[in-house]
Amino acid sequence: MDPVNALAVVSALVVAATAAGLLWRARTGRLPTRAEPAAGTDLAAIAVAHGTLGREATLVQFSTEYCAPCRATSRTLGELASAGVGITHVEIDLSGNPELARRFGILQTPTTFVLDGAGLQRARIGGAPRMRELHALLDELTGAGHVGAR
Amino acid sequence: MSERADAAAGIDPRGPRFGAGITAVLLLAVVALGALGLVVPALILLAALTALFAWGAFAGIRRHPWGALFRALVRPHLGPPAAVEDPRPPTFAQGVGLVVAGAGVVLGLAGLAPAVPIAAAAAFAAAFLNAVFGLCLGCQLYLLLVRAGLTRRASGAA
Repeated sequence: MDPVNALAVVSALVVAATAAGLLWRARTGRLPTRAEPAAGTDLAAIAVAHGTLGREATLVQFSTEYCAPCRATSRTLGELASAGVGITHVEIDLSGNPELARRFGILQTPTTFVLDGAGLQRARIGGAPRMRELHALLDELTGAGHVGAR
Repeated sequence: MSERADAAAGIDPRGPRFGAGITAVLLLAVVALGALGLVVPALILLAALTALFAWGAFAGIRRHPWGALFRALVRPHLGPPAAVEDPRPPTFAQGVGLVVAGAGVVLGLAGLAPAVPIAAAAAFAAAFLNAVFGLCLGCQLYLLLVRAGLTRRASGAA
């Protein structure tokens, strides 16, 4: 391959990698806007097996061992839960448990499900959650405006 | 649980990303050399990078040469990190790099010359995404291993 073609190949590789990265960044951590009632009570049963359901909301986080964003997400969600407004955080380690991963179609970690006070699924978040969107949903579920307060 | 706490004494997350940046540039050089038909230099460079991945995977990310470079040259000019991170995910990602780059070297030595720049391109994509966007592709691969039933919980096993 002559140098011009080689340069084109290298440039195309960098452009493609950049595009993939930008696409990932645009989509990660978003909360879908439509409500998702599917698999609601299934998830609540699993959450109860690994923790407790919140009076207003439950944050069910699926993690794996070798997952840097899972640690950070665990910290932020834990802080939300300990703010004491009826929200709990349940973290489930998939590392020894492929059955759970397949059952809920987990394709990336962290994957966080937000359940309401009745244990029904209200959101599914892939990647580290966008906190502004999560605060907005939690405000709605707790019927208060203080979750997102700085 | 305590074993996990020991292992997870945190590292500055900017260190592995800095290292990933250097690795990405070098992997891109392998792709360029391969594209220019300079197969032997490409293979040698990829072999060197494979050795570095092996170092990082087995000695741990903390003892990686790029980590030492970061601490010596870059870290003194930065403020403290916003948070520390568990060193095990980036160490695991070095293992993934070892497998991908190693496959390129083995296939290249077996006479399949295109394998060298192709493997380097794949490893470049992962290193680049990590350095620029903070995305750990290798870590996400671990989940696929979990789903295939190829893993077990490391802490808690006898």
